[in-house]
Amino acid sequence: MAILELKDIHKSFQDNVVLDGINLSVNKGDIVGIVGPSGTGKSTLLRSINLLERPEQGEIRFEDITLNLPLKGKERKSVTALRKRIGMVFQKFYLFEHKTALQNVMEGLITVQKKPKKETEQIALDALEKVGLKAWKNHYPKHMSGGQQPRVAIARTLAMKPDIILLDEPTSALDPELVTEVLTTIKAIAEQGYTMLLVSHEMDFVSKISNRVLFLDGGKIIEDGTPEEVFRHPKSDRAKEFFDKMNKLKEPEFFI
Amino acid sequence: MDTKFSDYFSVKLMWSRIPYLVKKIPITLELAGLAFLVSIVIGLLIAVIRYKKVKILSPIATAFLSLMRGTPMLIQLYVAYYGIPAILRIFNSWGANIDVNVIPKMVYAFFALGLYQAAFTSETFRAALESVDKGEIEAATAMGMTYGQVLRRIIVPEALENALPGICNSVIGLVKGTSLASTCGIIEITYQNQILAGRDYRYLEGYVALAIIYWIITIILEKIFKLVEKKFRIPEQPKTVEEV
Ligand SMILES: Nc1ncnc2c1ncn2[C@@H]1O[C@H](COP(=O)(O)OP(=O)(O)O)[C@@H](O)[C@H]1O
Ligand SMILES: [Mg+2]
Repeated sequence: MAILELKDIHKSFQDNVVLDGINLSVNKGDIVGIVGPSGTGKSTLLRSINLLERPEQGEIRFEDITLNLPLKGKERKSVTALRKRIGMVFQKFYLFEHKTALQNVMEGLITVQKKPKKETEQIALDALEKVGLKAWKNHYPKHMSGGQQPRVAIARTLAMKPDIILLDEPTSALDPELVTEVLTTIKAIAEQGYTMLLVSHEMDFVSKISNRVLFLDGGKIIEDGTPEEVFRHPKSDRAKEFFDKMNKLKEPEFFI
Repeated sequence: MDTKFSDYFSVKLMWSRIPYLVKKIPITLELAGLAFLVSIVIGLLIAVIRYKKVKILSPIATAFLSLMRGTPMLIQLYVAYYGIPAILRIFNSWGANIDVNVIPKMVYAFFALGLYQAAFTSETFRAALESVDKGEIEAATAMGMTYGQVLRRIIVPEALENALPGICNSVIGLVKGTSLASTCGIIEITYQNQILAGRDYRYLEGYVALAIIYWIITIILEKIFKLVEKKFRIPEQPKTVEEV
């Protein structure tokens, strides 16, 4: 059953049309990989789902919440309600720099979910444990490594028990040697049955964990299928070209 | 007859003046404290209005800042001192019934001081608000916080921390500014000195004694703020990792 449905979403920045009629229906438990050249609106798509961007046209339906765009005053409350149930991990993590790892994870539980303090701390510790950082709970973000910061961000999102997790290139800001630890964490979460939308350039990883892959280009979804279908047998030339280019980068002569 | 240095300046007299002035320090601090509260509340309000570019209010705030910064403190004190009773009398002539003489002089002084300082503090706050990472605001928004919650939980606490050095300056400015309140007839340390010097004509000793007192208060305040800043600042060194 579809948990999230986007209908005919349009979003432009001035005269730059970024999303040009996106239709998408995501089922509960889906792990959807989103790939495509940079600048095609992958981030904008994720950010439109939780209304960090305001599309000019279209409809977003998430379980019992339906938002018709553009938003009218009354629907503001629904936006907050929707955000409470959709978690997001940003490309640059955006940890609260003045809070410790534990406080980062507790923040949403206290302020948004209004859980009692005692319970909050336990949930936060469990979430940190899941990403292997329980021992680092009293550290500030600036004292954590590049690989640990996204894991705190993931724990912060997980602790809220969201119905959907949006991940926007969670490893692209990392040094290569740190990528694996973060991917391992994401894989572990994916295996727990979360619904996820993951934008990533790690094609092998996307292909391994997703049950569905979207290829985005020119503001439209131009490939939509299983990893096998999209990566091995793309229908469009644009996707073929893009994957060829990505594969070339991996060929031996590029390793020195 | 020879004139000695002590004819112009007697160190002994200066020291003996200090205890009489110290007695009025509580008035000075009370005035500075109340003005500080006014300046923080109004300064924060103006800063948020300008930070959020609130319609209608934002240009009003900007005009207020321009007025406050473009006129001397002393003149503002006089305007408050004579102006507020005048306004109240107008209200009374419309049927209100406010006893103008009941309003303590203190109120004019701390209000005028507070408003004046608010103009400067608000700019400190605004710079501090603008220095809060937009990404953190976005992360908090994406969690489902309302704007009010983001403001309370993320923006204001971080901005306050960034604003601490500016707030320290503002407190020191206010303490020194209270010396002007003598013009409203409040007997704080500066006015106390005028009264004493009026009796023995030892103005210079009195003013030097005053300078020493203001200086010491300022040094103490700076020390306190250094401690507060240190408490707020994220430590340079990470904690050791706890054994699990
Ligand atoms: N806030 C913004 N203002 C103006 N243009 C933007 C903004 N955000 C994104 N864009 C533009 O929208 C396009 C898509 O951006 P983005 O969604 O970040 O692409 P991707 O994530 O696929 O790399 C780009 O051309 C980018 O320059
Ligand atoms: Mg992007």
